[in-house]
Order: sequence, then C-alpha cells, then structure tokens
Amino acid sequence: MSQAGATAPAPALGRRSALRRRRALLPALFVAPGLTWLLVFYAIPVLTQLWVSLQTGNPRDGFTQTWNWDVYPDALSEYHEQLFRSVGYAATATLLCFIIAFPLAYFIAVKAGRFKNLFLLLIILPFFTSLIVRTVAWQTLLSDDGWVVGVFQSLGLVDEGGRLLATRTAVIAGITYNFLPFMALPLYASLERLDRRLVEAATDLYASRWTAFRKITLPLAAPGIFAGTLLTFIPAIGDYINAQLLGTTRQFMIGNVIQSQYIVVRDYPVAAALSFVVMVCVLIILALAVRLIGSRQLSEAAVA
Amino acid sequence: MPEESLDLFFERLVEGEPISRRAALRRMAAAGLVVGSAGSLLAACGGVEGTDKGGGETDVASVSHPKVAIGTVTVSNWPLYIDKSVIKDWEQQVDGKLKYVEDYNDNEEFFAKVRLELEANRPIGRDMVVPTDWMAARWIELGYVEPIDKDNVPNAENLLDSLKSPPFDEDRSFTLPWQSGITAVGYNPKKTGRKLSSINDLFDPKFKGRVSMFNDWRDSAGLVLLGMGKNPTTASEDDYLEAIKKIDDENRKGQIRRFTGNDYTKDLASGNLWACVAWSGDLVQLKADNPDLEFLVPEEGGMSWSDNMLMPKNEKNYYGAETFMNFVYDPQVAAKIAAEVNFFCPVKGVKEILAADDPELADNVLIFPDDATLANINPYPSFDSEVERKITAEMQKVTGA
Repeated sequence: MSQAGATAPAPALGRRSALRRRRALLPALFVAPGLTWLLVFYAIPVLTQLWVSLQTGNPRDGFTQTWNWDVYPDALSEYHEQLFRSVGYAATATLLCFIIAFPLAYFIAVKAGRFKNLFLLLIILPFFTSLIVRTVAWQTLLSDDGWVVGVFQSLGLVDEGGRLLATRTAVIAGITYNFLPFMALPLYASLERLDRRLVEAATDLYASRWTAFRKITLPLAAPGIFAGTLLTFIPAIGDYINAQLLGTTRQFMIGNVIQSQYIVVRDYPVAAALSFVVMVCVLIILALAVRLIGSRQLSEAAVA
Repeated sequence: MPEESLDLFFERLVEGEPISRRAALRRMAAAGLVVGSAGSLLAACGGVEGTDKGGGETDVASVSHPKVAIGTVTVSNWPLYIDKSVIKDWEQQVDGKLKYVEDYNDNEEFFAKVRLELEANRPIGRDMVVPTDWMAARWIELGYVEPIDKDNVPNAENLLDSLKSPPFDEDRSFTLPWQSGITAVGYNPKKTGRKLSSINDLFDPKFKGRVSMFNDWRDSAGLVLLGMGKNPTTASEDDYLEAIKKIDDENRKGQIRRFTGNDYTKDLASGNLWACVAWSGDLVQLKADNPDLEFLVPEEGGMSWSDNMLMPKNEKNYYGAETFMNFVYDPQVAAKIAAEVNFFCPVKGVKEILAADDPELADNVLIFPDDATLANINPYPSFDSEVERKITAEMQKVTGA
C-alpha cells in the first residue's frame, strides 16, 4: 500500500511534465513548417550559391573549393552596370505601376460597386496566359512597321525612322505591364478595407478633399502601397524575359547575365556570385522595409 | 494518342498542312517558346564540383556492336527535323520501336540537362543525340561518346566528300551528319534599297539599328573574319577576339539591333530587320512566305555546319541506333527528309532522286549547294575547350551578358 501510494503520483507527475514539455514544444511545432520551407527553399539554395561562388576551375577539369573571395569584386566590376540597370528599371517600373494601379485600385474599391469582381477579374485575366506569350505579343504590337509606332511618330513622341521595340522604353513598359497586378491587388485590398466614414468625418471637420486624402486615405493605404511595392520591385529586379524579348544587349539586366554565365559561358562561380549578390540585395531591401513599417503591417497587407 | 499523330493534328490545325521544322521553330520563337535557354537554368544549377571528364578512352578500331534484335531505340533530335513517316518505315523494316523525342532545342541547354549524368558515367536514356559540330566536339573531347561500328552502317559511304573529315572527328569514328546548313546573310532588298554582296554590307551606316547577328561567335565572328579577309576555320584565338572587338564597336555605335538565336526570323519577316546573319534553311522557309527576302552567301564566303548523330556512352542499344543511322543514309530516305526540312542534305544521290519529283527543290543551291558554293563555305574552327570558353565569355560580354 505504501508502495502503491508512493508510486501512484509519479506517473501523473510524469504525464504533467510531459504535457509541459509538449506545451513548450508547441510554438516550435507551429513554426516548423515555415522554418523548413525557409530552410529548404531559401537558406540552403543561398548557401549553396555562396559555396559554389567561391570555387575556381573550369568545366573541363572540374571545380575545386578555393575560397576565392575575389570573384565578388571581379564579378561586380564586370557586371555592375547590369546590376544598377536592374535596380533602375525595377524602380522605374514599380513607380509607373503605382501611378497606374493606385487610381485603378481606388476606382474598383470605392466606385465600382457591383462590378467590383468583374474589374478584378479583368486585371487578373491576362495572367491566364503565360508571361512569355504576353511579352511576345508586345513584340508584335511594338514592331517598327506597326500601328503603335506609327501613332507615336505622328504625335512626335518617336522620331521619324525611330523605333520602340528594342529600346529601354519597351523594356520598362513590358516590366510595368507584366507586374501591374502585383501592385494593383494589394492596393485594392487595403483600399477596400478602408473605413469610408473616416473620410466623411474628415470632410465634416472641414478638411478639403485633398487633405482628407492625404491624411486619411493615404496613411491607411500605406500597408498596401508597401506590399505592392515589394511584390513588384523584388521580382522585377530578377526579371530577364522583358529585356531579352523587348530589349537589346544595351538593356540587359542582371538576370540575363546570370542565365548566360550558367548556360553559355559555364562560369559557374561567377554566375553563383551574381545570384548571391542579387539575393542579398533583396534581403537588404526586405529588411529595410520591415524596419520602416513593421513586419506585422507588411504581412497583413500581403496576406490581404 | 501517339505523339506523332498529336503533332500532326496540331500542325494541320495551325497550317492546314504539315509544316517544316524551321517554320515551326520560327512559330515557336514567335510564341516565345524558344527564349534563350531559360528553361534549363535550373538544370544547370546543379552541383558543379567534380569534373566533366567521364567515360575514359575507347579503342575506336576494335569497336563492335553485335547484331541483335532491335528492340527500342531512343533518339533525341531537334524539333521538326524529320519526315515523320520515316520513323514508321524504319520500324516496319527492322521490326523495332523508335522512340523519337524532339527535345533537343538548344545545344547548351541540352548539354546542361544531361551533363551531370554523363559526368557520373550514367546513361542519359538516349541511344542517339544530334548536337551541332562544336558541341559534338565537346562531347568527343570529354569522352562522352561511343564510337560507331561502321560495319553496321554501310550506307555511311554515301556521306558527301566535303563532310568526311571534320577537324573534331577526322575519320567520322563517332559522328555522322544529320543535316547541314550555311550561315550567311539574310536580307530584304526592298528595305535595304540595294543588292548586298559583302559581309561588310551589314555595317553600312544606312542600316543602323536594322541589323542583327547571332549570339554565337562561331557564326557571327566567323563571318566578320571572312569580311576582314581571314579564314575563319584556321584563324587564331586572337583573330576571333579581334573580330569580336569589331562587333563590339558596331554594337556600341547602335548598328546592331539585337543578338539573337532562332528568333531573328520573326524580326526579319516583319521588317524590323533589314539585313542579318541567317541560316540557309530558315531562308528557304521564309522565302516561301515572303518572296522579297534573299539569302546571300557573300563574295567573301559563309560558314558551314552540321548537326551530327552521335551515340552517348553507357547506353544500351548501339546496334539499334546504328541501324537507324544506316537507314537515314539510304538516299531514298534522305530525300524524304530533305524535302521536308529544306536544309542541305549530307547524303549523296539525293538530288537525282528529288529531281524527278520536285525539280525546283532539287535545283535549290541552299539544299544542294553547287561546287562554287561549296568552295566558298568554311567549317567552324576547332579550339581547345578552354580557349572556346574564353572566346565565348568575350562574345557574351559584347552581347550584353
């Protein structure tokens, strides 16, 4: 009996501590899928790129790890032009996306009424076609003897004998077009949730329409603006389809360089180094954005 | 539904009739399906440590592939590069099965896809592939190729004399040309306003921004070297670098609109390009749609190339692959293929066969080059693979990547 009395509480205690341990594990378990995802699809690839980038050798005799850090200054001095160009084109296209998407999203969220879903569908509709096919359609649209160039020429926007295809304008326009929904949809989401009564209250309190827009609408749409900017800007940096199809070598972006270094030149370390640089750039931009507006607002807007 | 009939169905749907390989490539390029070699980026991102060197030396002289039942032969070739009835005819004749896969879209891309297997001495699941000369040279240099047992390919003697000993495979121990072609100048006289005669006409300032060249230095720099009065087959590395420098200068001046692969045909057909570096078979096709276009082998000459049948190491059915090679070197069969693909035919005796059915085709010097044309075209140079890679890197700097 005394034996039984002594041992009886023990399993209960054990169960309780096991429960406590499991409770302690619970957050880790919840985080695990996300962490695994991050590890497998981000951390490992990035580190692999870093590892490969520091090798030296050639495809015939093989590559060996030599911790050749010089590859970074070398690659950057050779290809900084394309890297800066990528950032420049992506930034310009993001700005253009914003200028086009904001009124569009505002209109759909506030004025479209029962046609809301129809308009949203219209924004997404082109995306049922592949990116490449859409971009090739632009080739036809902008061809030298096409009507677009003809109209632009008669308006004096393009020189006589000038062209649109195979210019910077075409590449940036292509990126803008291809990434527009990534800007429009988050903007729509945040504008749609905006409480219209706040704007009414502002105007009731003698704010002009412009002041109400500036002090109410814009700040409340901020998460959408940030999310849209990131969703547009980050993939646009790595884009190379638009430069390849609508541009010339003078418009090539860092993605084109990485592709050719991997496939054609087969200089894997340089290709890996450039990929690593791009990934780090993206990470820095993301970190800055998080600092600036907080991760919660960012993910809220992105999820919405 | 068998693959061939599905293909035919789509061809008919689009065209109302079967279309040729280059025409379809053109259409695919137009649809953006052959953009660079983007799709294979992932394939190339695999591990890179270790060495490409595999296989080891094979005694070419003693190669012997016993005659066995054919079974299934797997062939990877460029898209629309055959008359599909040839496949059925062969299957019937030898009582075997030919798995004919059209997944060879780009030399570098295909190499990137199978490189790791070849390196590790594993089979790539193809008994025969069809790389272009310089890529075939790379396969041979790396020891990835099984020699051909000539006893099983008696028809190989029908090979044109001019193609019998390329520098990368002097006695054709490993390769046999599938089709050949010429790289020279394609242009639209209505746009240029005059007949062109020289390679250097591409650099006429009047055509600024209306000229394109290929990404591949073997074609582009090869032609430029001809324009400089040098022989591109025997030219040195420095000669090539000089030619690339010249292309760079012209590109900086804005003379060159784009550097392209197959996709130049769309720009040439739509008038965006007035003159460009072009492949002969493409122009035979393009001319059918737009008679204004001209293909010019300039007075200085052009480049010639072949796509070569070869058998990768470590495969199972060499006898089957050799039987198929033998079949397509039968002039009757080769005539069928030539009539379909419009490139220049490496098999003797085909012209005479076609002359009866289709005299116009038989008289086309782009499909059956006359002696004057043959004397005026030059094979690609053959460099050590590291030199090749250095020149490639230089050219890629010019073409922007």
